[in-house]
Amino acid sequence: MLKDYHCNIENIRNFSIIAHIDHGKSTIADRLLEFTGTISEREKREQILDDMDLEREKGITIKSKAVRLYYHSKDEKEYILNLIDTPGHVDFSYEVSRSLAACEGALLIVDASQGVQAQTIANINLALKSNLKIIPVINKIDLTTANPDRVTKELQNISEIKEEEVILASAKEGIGTSDILEAIVNKIPPPKGSSNLPLRALIFDSIYNPYKGTIVYVKVVDGVIKPGMFIQTMSNNIKYEVVEVGIFRPKMQPIKKLTAGEVGYIIAGFKNIKDTQVGDTIIDASNPSEESLPGYKKVTPLVFCSIYPVDNKEHENLKAALDKLRLNDSSLFSEAETSEALGFGFRCGFLGLLHMEIIQERLEREYDINLIATTPSVMYQVTKKDGETIKISNPASFPPKNEIVKIEEPYVKVNIITPSKCIGRIMDLVQERRGSFKNMEYIDEKILRLDYYLPLNEIILDFYDKLKSISSGYASLDYELTGYQPSELAKVDILVNHQLVDALSFIIHKDKAYTRARKIVEKLKEIIPRQMYEVPLQATIEGKIIARETIKALKKDVLAKCYGGDITRKRKLLEKQKAGKKRMKKVGKVEIPQEAFLGILKI
Amino acid sequence: MELGLYLHFPYCISKCPYCDFNSYQLKEDNQISSYISALYQEITAYSQKLKKSNIKTIYLGGGTPTILSGVKIYNILEFCKDKFTIDKNAEITIEANPGTLDGEKINLLIESGVNRLSLGAQSFNNLFLKKLGRIHNTQEIIDSYYLAREAGFNNISIDIMFALPDQITEDIQDTLKKALSLKPDHFSLYNLTIKPGTEYYKEYKRGKLKLPDEDEEFDMYNWAINYLEENGFEHYEIANFALPHKRSKHNLIYWQNRPYLGIGAGAYSFIRGYRYMNYENPSRYIKEVMSGKLPVDNGEKLSLRKRMTETIILGLRTKDGISYKKFKKRFKVNINDIFHKQIKKLVNLGLLQRDDDRIKLTRKGIFLANTVFREFVD
Repeated sequence: MLKDYHCNIENIRNFSIIAHIDHGKSTIADRLLEFTGTISEREKREQILDDMDLEREKGITIKSKAVRLYYHSKDEKEYILNLIDTPGHVDFSYEVSRSLAACEGALLIVDASQGVQAQTIANINLALKSNLKIIPVINKIDLTTANPDRVTKELQNISEIKEEEVILASAKEGIGTSDILEAIVNKIPPPKGSSNLPLRALIFDSIYNPYKGTIVYVKVVDGVIKPGMFIQTMSNNIKYEVVEVGIFRPKMQPIKKLTAGEVGYIIAGFKNIKDTQVGDTIIDASNPSEESLPGYKKVTPLVFCSIYPVDNKEHENLKAALDKLRLNDSSLFSEAETSEALGFGFRCGFLGLLHMEIIQERLEREYDINLIATTPSVMYQVTKKDGETIKISNPASFPPKNEIVKIEEPYVKVNIITPSKCIGRIMDLVQERRGSFKNMEYIDEKILRLDYYLPLNEIILDFYDKLKSISSGYASLDYELTGYQPSELAKVDILVNHQLVDALSFIIHKDKAYTRARKIVEKLKEIIPRQMYEVPLQATIEGKIIARETIKALKKDVLAKCYGGDITRKRKLLEKQKAGKKRMKKVGKVEIPQEAFLGILKI
Repeated sequence: MELGLYLHFPYCISKCPYCDFNSYQLKEDNQISSYISALYQEITAYSQKLKKSNIKTIYLGGGTPTILSGVKIYNILEFCKDKFTIDKNAEITIEANPGTLDGEKINLLIESGVNRLSLGAQSFNNLFLKKLGRIHNTQEIIDSYYLAREAGFNNISIDIMFALPDQITEDIQDTLKKALSLKPDHFSLYNLTIKPGTEYYKEYKRGKLKLPDEDEEFDMYNWAINYLEENGFEHYEIANFALPHKRSKHNLIYWQNRPYLGIGAGAYSFIRGYRYMNYENPSRYIKEVMSGKLPVDNGEKLSLRKRMTETIILGLRTKDGISYKKFKKRFKVNINDIFHKQIKKLVNLGLLQRDDDRIKLTRKGIFLANTVFREFVD
């Protein structure tokens, strides 16, 4: 235990950094860490806070993190600064809102040459929703194309920011770092709570550590928490004894207690990460506070898909890997299921498509399991003739049409902030995705805000990517679930050699069924190698064929030459091919490569 | 022990864009001299050990062996005769590129004892020859062919490639008809395969090569087999056709999985169940030999199972297929005790045919030979 720095709540500042992508969030964070001596030159790494490989590759933060800085201000006071890093993707917007709820202020980073972008405005809105004091920082003023005056005016156009509040900085050159730190202590208010009230701590993330169990990231709003106390969460009655509390420097460092206003971690006997949901309130079991902190929601997965090991022998490994990932990720849902085509696997639920991709990549990369993932789906609500209403995410378990009275699908209210020049193409995109227009509003002459209602199904696959692509990365997307609406949906089945491949079935609006079915059988024809005989491919709705293709029989599979040494190479090649065939899924007599299941996702 | 002898010559006038053989463009003539010294050295190293072996065939391959002068080839073969025991009826083949032959060279080849010529024609269409990067045109193929015939070669094989970029069935028909009009004794007929590391591979990856599809390739190959068989050629191996008594004895050694010694850069040997390969890079090869070592890069002692598998997949390439008796004699076990399941399945699929003593590929099986072979490998 190093110095136990217990200063007054008046000397604590909790803040986060918000920025459009590539405007320099990570470099600013690095400079603050270096300036305050939190991290030495030697320990420096690019993007210190993003320590997961995937995060660094994708350039986005997946989990929330915190780090405590000690700052000796110009007027000779000692401050504790907690920088809380938030995830940066629409899939994680609830997590972001909880991380921001732990702060009193935010640094808003804007690129001095690119200026205000759609994401900047979305960020300001987010910060204002959480009542944060915004400190505007214009970064990269060292660029020859920098135009801080113009950017300042842009900022003033869209918010109540005053010119004299704007800090000019170049994180690359180390300019402005001290101004930023001074602004943090002088402009951002201290936390509001009191150490004399009963304990209330906000959970903004939690991780699983194989040695220490679940580690919960908290901001103590009121009261004090220390080892030996009995605690519980507001949503759960189970009591736990606190084993350790501490702070992030950025490594975990135990301290004696955390008091009101402080950000740190708690280790108690939490058995399961599900016991410590993001947004929940931790209270003192012996002196429970009556009032929970606002904003807690139970996280529900929005996107579902089935995951199967390519090799059925890997099933146990996949199960173990999913269990491990779930320890660290309470928003990941999974349950065992069986497919006729694919064998034993899992139905999984995710916050969104990025979340799904991350989980799939981690399973393949960190756990070395080859996966087949089915087309993502949403949760449908089906009312049956017998009056029963069921929720179904898996097309394979859809009841037959004659048992169905109505099908409803989830809708979301979508909020897009975009440069106005992209509006035409965004409207086309939304139209194509069955969206209905609600509202449009100019934020300034170059940026506008669009509101739509869309079926969730239409945005989970590639809507965000498409939106980013047509706006060159500038548009931002935010959405929230509004409820279920009846819809004309159909289940399309795919038959390979007259045999239903349950894992390829999908639910789609009936107007789109034909086109998509066509594309899928064409793609399958491309991907599935020729077999010893002709293989018909059919797409059907309720047994009626809506698209078909035929894979011709294999005619020629022979290597011309084979002399002297060739036989060694040839034998090895044949062995490799044979091993490759073993990795294919056999449906009936047809060998289907893994790519067939992945390939149709990309249509 | 009966043995085949292979000599590799890795140099060419230029490297063809489809070729992934161990061959290099010749930069300086003195490369050849030091390479030949190394060949002599390696031959000498083996001569004591293999003196008692009876060499039944010699094959000079490349690269382009005929890039060497007639005298050099003559000397090399004389050296072999000095160091090894060579059967007096040995088949001695040389690969020759049209464009590297002249009257004097041809006569010296005859004098050296070369009695079989494999002419790398590849196509009888100047457009395709050019695209393949060949150094010769159609007329030069004809000229080289008659030069060899007149000098006394009575066993000439012609190499033809098919399934070339932009080729259609009519093109290969035209080429084969022209080739047949020369009345060669033997054809080797290969479909072009795009191999990593070649110029063609790069173009293919960039989507620049338009190759015939599987159905068109089938039509070409199917037509060629019918055409050559109708004209008296025996389709005695997947890619090879011969007039009676004109099968390649040397290549049959490979397909029957019998022993051979390979000399030169990248050459393979298969002796006493051990298959090994020399260093491919000529400089490395020369360096190893000159420092008194055998220039072996890697090799493996084949397990009984692997030897059986290889014997089957090589033997099935030939018209004769695999004889149960010979298999039993060689491996002391019945083929059916080991491969009954595979054979039964392939017979049911119509890919293999079985008679009293033999299994061999059906016509359908010839086209799907790899599907057959995959059943036998592990």
